[in-house]
Amino acid sequence: MMALTVSTYIIGELDYYGMTAVLFLLLTAIIKGSFIIRDFMELKGVSFLWRAIMFGWLWLVCLGILISYVITV
Amino acid sequence: MSSARIKLEPKLLPGDLAIWFFIFMELLVFGIFFISYAVMRLLNAEMFQQYQLTLNKEIGAANTLLLITSSYFVVRAVHAIRQDRVVSCIHWIYAALLGGVGFLILKSVEYYDKFSAGISLSTNTFYMFYLSLTMFHFLHVILGMIILAAIAIKAKRGAYSAQNHTGVETGASYWHMVDLVWIILFPLVYIIR
Repeated sequence: MMALTVSTYIIGELDYYGMTAVLFLLLTAIIKGSFIIRDFMELKGVSFLWRAIMFGWLWLVCLGILISYVITV
Repeated sequence: MSSARIKLEPKLLPGDLAIWFFIFMELLVFGIFFISYAVMRLLNAEMFQQYQLTLNKEIGAANTLLLITSSYFVVRAVHAIRQDRVVSCIHWIYAALLGGVGFLILKSVEYYDKFSAGISLSTNTFYMFYLSLTMFHFLHVILGMIILAAIAIKAKRGAYSAQNHTGVETGASYWHMVDLVWIILFPLVYIIR
């Protein structure tokens, strides 16, 4: 998680932009978010409904950000 | 006799069910906030690009590391209380609170820098979103720290044990939500260009 955070910062510092950078950043956020939901929040093994709500939120928000970015480009 | 397939019952949500509805509502609000930011950025791409460069990425990254670390400390606090190690649980919560204090200090430095440069909610659309979104999260960090502090105090009074630690799990779930929100907020507001 720390390494992914540092990589996010480096992308910003090196001023990378464009679709590839955005995809990497959002994928990184999804990986970190999934780790927090599954392991920190301990939703691994919890009933499907709760997991669907949490992971659904994570994916929908990131997808929304991606779509808005695609429209901008 | 065919070996009966033992169907594992799904685990219960950790902590109170009520906190999870509160978490879902908060995530819904932040989700709408994030999408609104993304749409406004779509409509004002150049302005957002220009003013995003004025943000302090170092503080944003440092705060991400602080929240992740603090969240991990809270995980250790939950594991400790499940093993009836009350003192250890309290120490992990203190460590998590330290992470929260660090986040608030760095955030305040960032805001001081912006406000002393004359920037406010009414400066432009970008700063309105940046300030309102991060301040909204700032308040959630404060609320999360109040919850953690209350848990530490109750734990010191012997309220929690291996048999009874729902309160610790409840507070932990809320703190992890605060971390989860920042995980999206940081790249969206500080980095994506």
